[in-house]
Amino acid sequence: MNKRIPALVLAAVMAMSAAGCGSKTATDNTNSTDATANTDTAQNTATAADNDLVIAFNTDVQSLDPHNTTDTLSISISNTMYESLITFDENQNIVPLLAESYKAEDDNLTYTFTLRQGIKFSDGTDFNADAVIANYERCLADTTLRQNSNVKKWESVTKVDDYTVAVKLLTPDSSFLNRFTQFDMISPTALENGVDLNKESAGTGQYVFKEHVEGDHVTVVPNTEYWGTKATVDSLTFRAVPEDGSRIAMLQTGEADFIHPMPVIQAQEMDGQDGIVVERTPSNIMRYVTLNTTVPELSDKRVRQAMNYAIDKEAYAQVVFNGFCEEVLSCFPSTVSYYAEQTPYTYDLEKAKELMTEAGYPDGFSLTLWGDNMTIEQTGMQFIAQQLGQIGIQVEVVPMEPTTLSEMIYMPEEENDVQMWYVNWSAGSFDADGSMRSILHSDNVPPTSANTAFFRNEEFDTLIDNAKLTTDTQELTDLYAQAQAIVWDECPWLFLGNDDLVFAHKSYVDGIVMAPDGSLDVTNATLAQ
Amino acid sequence: MGRYVVKRILSVIPLLFVISILIFAFIHLIPGDPVRKMLPKEATNEEYLALKEELGLNEPLPVQYLDYMKGIFQGDFGESYKNGLPIREILPDRMAATLKLTFAGIVWAVVLGTLIGILSAVKRGKFLDYLGMVIATSGISVPSFWLGLILIQIFAVELGWLPTGQLDSWKGYILPSLTLGCSIMGTLARYSRSSMLETLQDDYVRTARAKGQRESLVVLRHAFRNSLVQVVTVVGLQIGGLLAGSVLVETVFSIPGLGRLMVDSIEFRDYKVIQALLMFFAVEYITINLIVDLLYGVLNPKIRYD
Repeated sequence: MNKRIPALVLAAVMAMSAAGCGSKTATDNTNSTDATANTDTAQNTATAADNDLVIAFNTDVQSLDPHNTTDTLSISISNTMYESLITFDENQNIVPLLAESYKAEDDNLTYTFTLRQGIKFSDGTDFNADAVIANYERCLADTTLRQNSNVKKWESVTKVDDYTVAVKLLTPDSSFLNRFTQFDMISPTALENGVDLNKESAGTGQYVFKEHVEGDHVTVVPNTEYWGTKATVDSLTFRAVPEDGSRIAMLQTGEADFIHPMPVIQAQEMDGQDGIVVERTPSNIMRYVTLNTTVPELSDKRVRQAMNYAIDKEAYAQVVFNGFCEEVLSCFPSTVSYYAEQTPYTYDLEKAKELMTEAGYPDGFSLTLWGDNMTIEQTGMQFIAQQLGQIGIQVEVVPMEPTTLSEMIYMPEEENDVQMWYVNWSAGSFDADGSMRSILHSDNVPPTSANTAFFRNEEFDTLIDNAKLTTDTQELTDLYAQAQAIVWDECPWLFLGNDDLVFAHKSYVDGIVMAPDGSLDVTNATLAQ
Repeated sequence: MGRYVVKRILSVIPLLFVISILIFAFIHLIPGDPVRKMLPKEATNEEYLALKEELGLNEPLPVQYLDYMKGIFQGDFGESYKNGLPIREILPDRMAATLKLTFAGIVWAVVLGTLIGILSAVKRGKFLDYLGMVIATSGISVPSFWLGLILIQIFAVELGWLPTGQLDSWKGYILPSLTLGCSIMGTLARYSRSSMLETLQDDYVRTARAKGQRESLVVLRHAFRNSLVQVVTVVGLQIGGLLAGSVLVETVFSIPGLGRLMVDSIEFRDYKVIQALLMFFAVEYITINLIVDLLYGVLNPKIRYD
């Protein structure tokens, strides 16, 4: 006995050492018989072991209350159980969902929605105009709900008849419909009874709540009374798996059928292994560096343009995102409506140096660059520092813990020390106003919001303010195109790129659509049996 | 002993009070607040200030502290800013996960650590001794994060024997607890070896041998029992380390325990959750210390409590 134990221990240590030295090789060659067998099963037959779909995300759900969702995971889960009157289709066009049709009245303030009839919430309550009003009243009364900031811009929601409601705005708002897609319907009976939405659901969606283990997973099961196309999977579990390596391992072993995000570093290597399919889709994430225009050196447009010419965007996409990043030719990505392509700042060091000389800075100057302390963010910041170093700008990279950084960023102007901020922005409602107003309008310099370039351009402000007031598509196209041209020429930012969303799934999974904001549409999800 | 226990417990009350003030003060000294995290990023400063007021976070710190303590005395730890759930609902499941994991980690550590320690001491200077110490040193040196990923790669991905994490079944405990217990195993092996070596040279061990008792009996009944006092001390001291180590292990193995909750809460500045967690850790440390002190008396009757 005494001799066996050390031998076993020795064997284990040797196995661990071998794995530690060459785990990649082992994975690549699938040396293990069992692993090869599993791989063969997955690749040859491409069928799932069961009909339970497990989706692993890198974060934990924040809220199961559809009026209070802020993160894409919460939105994805919420969308399985709750529905809104209108929604986005796969191409980000607005289409009716619980409404049969809708129209904007001539006053530019009122929108009338005709509701579908015969729909019930999962608790048996009828969906009708009263239900819409009850949801409006709830969001208006509770200021802690995220939807509160939307509904307080409405003057009223009135019942025209049992299946028609009219939403009247306080002021015209061209982005209203985009934002209205996020206004999900909860059963008025559940609202009245104060149902805890973290423990049960009361929506009209394709799924109903089954289980929520805080910090671990949320499981939903098909709503047998669903009014539309019924779900084909037996259950749907969203699991929180923060560690990248563990998330990939779960996909390899089949414990997860779909993972998001797939780390860009491993994406190419994993594609095709163990029956794994890696996919990418354009996001609505704009990646940029704000240039504080109140800093003397950065107040000169020529300097800001020179900095844009000094960045090799292709190399940036390769170095930081392993190629999973698209070139962007405006101040927001092409997935957002009214995107207007501008002339690129093609990487040109000579031109950059010329502009620097013209501006009176032939030898450059020093700046600090703030950003999150995550590895990928720091890589991006180091890249920017290296690139700007080529035209004599010495950049000190200052990575900070995200919440601390947030406090520093939102300091009032006189106390705010930001010079450059490496950041990204995305508007969940995919609208041009949401993609520019908070970060470029002069009303929104800190502490009001995140215009940390302190970009103040009256013409730009007027253009987007006017665009907000119209619903005429041609007018909106013109106004937003002019606004984008100003930002592009003025360069309050370094325009870096548009992140791809990278996700992976087993080859037997089909029908899951990822929206540009990273939220999932699982309406047509299937597992091949 | 009863009087001793009561005295120790009573002395904890003022200590916890001081700890609660320190925790509260330090948490609020960290830059950043939860309000920005709670609001959508396009929220205006007015919305920020309104929510801050609603949550009572614009009140002076002493007022906030008193409100917090008032809640605690009524058994209400408040609600998480992050997900709105009552803390008294969040903590039990999280505690259960971490405590089960910690317990399983200690079992591994004690069993393997003492076994290696005894074998190394008995076979001092021989191959088994060197091998045992190599394992012990490796256990201490290997980062748990790396070890966890390697174990997942071998036993979950390559061999398919065990799950990658989650404590849904007994199988799910094996890899995380082994990862967690590894460093204590190493420490324990080294301590129990040196303790055993010392005890094996004591007179009463020589007497036992002289009486003709079997070597295994001499080692286990006489020498090992006396060396246990040191083992218990080390285990007691290291449990705190295990809780800290659980942050990484829970992340690697996707376990919703206290470690992950702590990291998430600090990142979110979820003040009330952080306060509740730190208070729990303080109480846990104090309790473990008390248990260790009481165990000394059980293991060595010569130790008396006054």
